[in-house]
Amino acid sequence: MHPASPRPPAVDLPPVAVPPATPPTSAPVPPAAPSAGSTALPVPEPAPDAGTARPRATRVAEGSMVGGVCTGLARHLGWPVLAIRIAFVALMLFQFIGVIAYGALWLLMPPAPATAAPGLESASRAGMRDTSSTVRRRLDWGPVVALTALATGLLWLVQISGLGISQQLFWPVAFACAGAALVWRQADSAQQKRWQAEAGGRVWLAPFVARGGWPALVRVIVGLGLVGAAFGLVLAQWGQIGQLPEVLAMTSLALAGLAVVVAPWIHRSRTALNTVRAEKVRADERADMAAHLHDSVLQTLALIQRQAEDPRAVQQLARRQERELRTWLYGEELGGTSLKAALTTAAAEVEDERGIPVELVVVGDAEPSEAVQALVRSAREAVVNAAKHSGADKIDVYAEVTEDLVEVFVRDRGQGFDLDAVPEDRMGVRGSILDRMARHGGRATVRSRPGDGTEVRLEIRP
Amino acid sequence: MTSTPATPAPGSRPAPPASLPGPGTAPAGPAAASGPSRVVVVDDHAMFRTGVKAEIGQAVRVVGEAADVESAVAVITAARPDVVLLDVHLPGGGGVEVLRKVHAVAPEQKFLALSVSDAAEDVIGVIRAGARGYVTKSINGTELIDAIRRVAEGDAVFSPRLAGFVLDAFSGAIDLATVDEDLDRLSQREREVLRLIARGYAYKEVARELFISIKTVETHVSSVLRKLQLSNRHQLTRWATDRRLV
Repeated sequence: MHPASPRPPAVDLPPVAVPPATPPTSAPVPPAAPSAGSTALPVPEPAPDAGTARPRATRVAEGSMVGGVCTGLARHLGWPVLAIRIAFVALMLFQFIGVIAYGALWLLMPPAPATAAPGLESASRAGMRDTSSTVRRRLDWGPVVALTALATGLLWLVQISGLGISQQLFWPVAFACAGAALVWRQADSAQQKRWQAEAGGRVWLAPFVARGGWPALVRVIVGLGLVGAAFGLVLAQWGQIGQLPEVLAMTSLALAGLAVVVAPWIHRSRTALNTVRAEKVRADERADMAAHLHDSVLQTLALIQRQAEDPRAVQQLARRQERELRTWLYGEELGGTSLKAALTTAAAEVEDERGIPVELVVVGDAEPSEAVQALVRSAREAVVNAAKHSGADKIDVYAEVTEDLVEVFVRDRGQGFDLDAVPEDRMGVRGSILDRMARHGGRATVRSRPGDGTEVRLEIRP
Repeated sequence: MTSTPATPAPGSRPAPPASLPGPGTAPAGPAAASGPSRVVVVDDHAMFRTGVKAEIGQAVRVVGEAADVESAVAVITAARPDVVLLDVHLPGGGGVEVLRKVHAVAPEQKFLALSVSDAAEDVIGVIRAGARGYVTKSINGTELIDAIRRVAEGDAVFSPRLAGFVLDAFSGAIDLATVDEDLDRLSQREREVLRLIARGYAYKEVARELFISIKTVETHVSSVLRKLQLSNRHQLTRWATDRRLV
């Protein structure tokens, strides 16, 4: 979007003339660049929590002309964009203050985080969506050329009119500005790309662009070269080109000193950055989990609507969904294959297969020894039996672990049966419960009276 | 949890107990003591309140409802129901906060906690704060009516899960030096009763199983409840805190 007025063009200048206000200070700028770049990075990530009353000042990509500074400022202050753009252009006419201010703001303002609905973000992270269509700033060369031409013309006009910087200083300043802008621009785009990659964009691009790669390197080298040229130009103008080695040595010494001073600070911001990243990963995981659950709730609701005539199916669906949600929201993390975990899984399976709620209460827990596994299998069989034959509307399973005994009770309030009347060849109770327990040195007792439900008691030494 | 000075807001209110029903209260006349129990439903989900009212409306009189801690305290202190059905998770501090504030002005008020959470610290927390029972929201209508009646009569209501939690909390080796008399352990009989409840037995069935009267079962359960509420057992609190963050 370009509000086609003659002013905004001038705002396009700033990137070419960013930080060095005066030529001599242009030398120390590069070492500071990485630090400023990396401190700016942690800022955009916790950004979502900000912005209750007034939006944070961020660079806004959408609707921006150059770096999005004016748009971002306008949004932050609640002023019209055009007014701010005009102000910047006007300021530019006074010793390029507008340009310098724009450049500084560009560096200081973090890019606006692009947020989508949590479910979509999560799906993008999980690679379940096509993200290539996400909005990107596309470079439109036509306006850029026009703007550059206009800006050059304007600059020239300013120079001619004598309001600008003296001719002697102009070229060094221009070179230094261009070089520094290249270097800074590099930091900026790397930061954006990295951020984008972390948000699930093109992950394969991240190491290439964010951690350097040859385009970045070329940009930095050219930038530094331009700054060096500016430096040399100044020296040449002073007619002291012969002292170049000494000056270079002095400069590099100064730079080294500065690096030593700044190093701990850079290191600290690096560490902070890593922490922020780790936090983001954790937050993402949780968000993904939540999204998954919400997603499954949606599925369940859809299924329920479709099967509205079948109360049993509806109940089964609701029950399963309830269990999943409850486990996630309030449940304990049942790691591994302990007795508790195994029983929980078994109960859930039967519940899903048979559509009968299984209430499980476990006191204590035990390691999954062979005996315990046999116990769990027997208990599962008992639950399945109860679900199949008892006609009860609920099955209670209680497991208690004491020092020398593991007990499981499976109880239903169904129709019950007479154990002696069960034919010898019926595998269910006899084979998979009584005999299995006996084989592992345990014991199973079935207590059932017709009309009074059934309780199977299993016990085994862990 | 933090705003313990409970008295100002509710304290000014209960002065005209019957005449000033809180927001959302149904007509709250001081009905006859006998007859159906008078119940207030406190839950922040309107859909759930409606469902519960539909389910238990035949057997009890729902005399008020509330959706957060503040209005709950107002409604309860105004209506003085026999039993309050109290959701564990409520905006404004949770069910525990309601218990604390109401009990500050009406220590006799009976609460039955219900929740979807089933998390140990929620269950134990609300019982220790003074609820006389705990059931899950998936409980069916008849069971819920039964539980309300039992609480109204002054008994305790333990779901199988709550029984399991209590057994868990009171199990394990006890450091004899820290045992605070009987409060810190369950008697053999109480343990048996709890185990049967955890196995899914109703009080009646527990009584038959142990050859004792239902009244005795109720006494045992109430005694467990008291221990749960009064025990300073180091292990009990630690047990609950251990489960705080999963």
